[in-house]
Amino acid sequence: MAARAMAVVCLALIAASCASAEKDPVVSAAERFLSAAGQGQGGPACRLLAPKAARSLDDCEKQIVSVGLRPAAVRGVDVWGDEARVRLDGDTLFLHRFSEGWRIRAAGCAPRPGEPYECEVEA
Amino acid sequence: MRRLVRDNALAMCFLLLFLLSLAGQSVAGTAAYNEDQVAEGGAPVTWLQYVTSSTFAVDVAENWQSEYLQFFLYILITVWLIQRGSPESKESGEEGLESDAEQKIGPFAGSRSPAWAVAGGWRRTLFSHSLGIAMGLIFLLSWLAQSVAGLAAYDEERLARLEDPVGWLGYVTSAEFWNRTLQNWQSEFLAVASMVLLAIFLRERGSPQSKKVGDPHSATASSG
Repeated sequence: MAARAMAVVCLALIAASCASAEKDPVVSAAERFLSAAGQGQGGPACRLLAPKAARSLDDCEKQIVSVGLRPAAVRGVDVWGDEARVRLDGDTLFLHRFSEGWRIRAAGCAPRPGEPYECEVEA
Repeated sequence: MRRLVRDNALAMCFLLLFLLSLAGQSVAGTAAYNEDQVAEGGAPVTWLQYVTSSTFAVDVAENWQSEYLQFFLYILITVWLIQRGSPESKESGEEGLESDAEQKIGPFAGSRSPAWAVAGGWRRTLFSHSLGIAMGLIFLLSWLAQSVAGLAAYDEERLARLEDPVGWLGYVTSAEFWNRTLQNWQSEFLAVASMVLLAIFLRERGSPQSKKVGDPHSATASSG
């Protein structure tokens, strides 16, 4: 949320350096999550999910590794306040900033014209 | 000290009301924001985090811009348009910028006139419109602040709904931006029209915004 104010300041001052500092922890969380899920490490992957997203799966540690999530090249990152989107080759993740850091709210997302993304896992 | 307070009581009263209202808005806004956050699976925020957020900034700025627009237009339009019978209006026949003698500028300035009213050229022109320019500038800056803070809040909401964010141009041409803007403008314009018309027939004894109680309804530009 402090970052939300920071985002406003960034825009107002058109300070590109702010954007990079904002995006690094988001990309890091997304890459750690996809790496864990891709290597079949359900525990670490589930710990990087937002609580509501983890609860949406009956057995998080088993199901999160069976969705087919894999590490991929990052094509774009958007951070607005406490929300973020990471676009990768063949996947899109949505993240939310908690007091303990960025957590994945939705993964395995595909765009739908005029509608919200359709996601394999979402809060 | 008592003299200072008495001489500036009107401005001080409204500045105090402004600060109390802004404080109240920040407390109520934090509570409302946290209700939404918890419902959407997010984490609640502190008061300090909320008052430095784009959500709070856009709520404040959108009201500021409409208020300053109201005064800006009122100051400008009452130069050229009159309302017969309203104490908010000049008399019929006085429409326009008026003569230098009526405005006490240049050679017609008094000994206590401001220096730029006495001066010629751009200084006199600028000072002659300084109130409108100031109100207009504050309006434009508030509106710009609304668009920047509004974009941040809007894109944050869109990401929370798993939707693509939009850029500044996308936001200022969005229904969200114009809905926020026009809902404030319509109420300001209605309030001004009501004031202009009701003050023809109704009175508030002792108020300079009203005609004197005994003034006829047809009397224009008098105040009590």
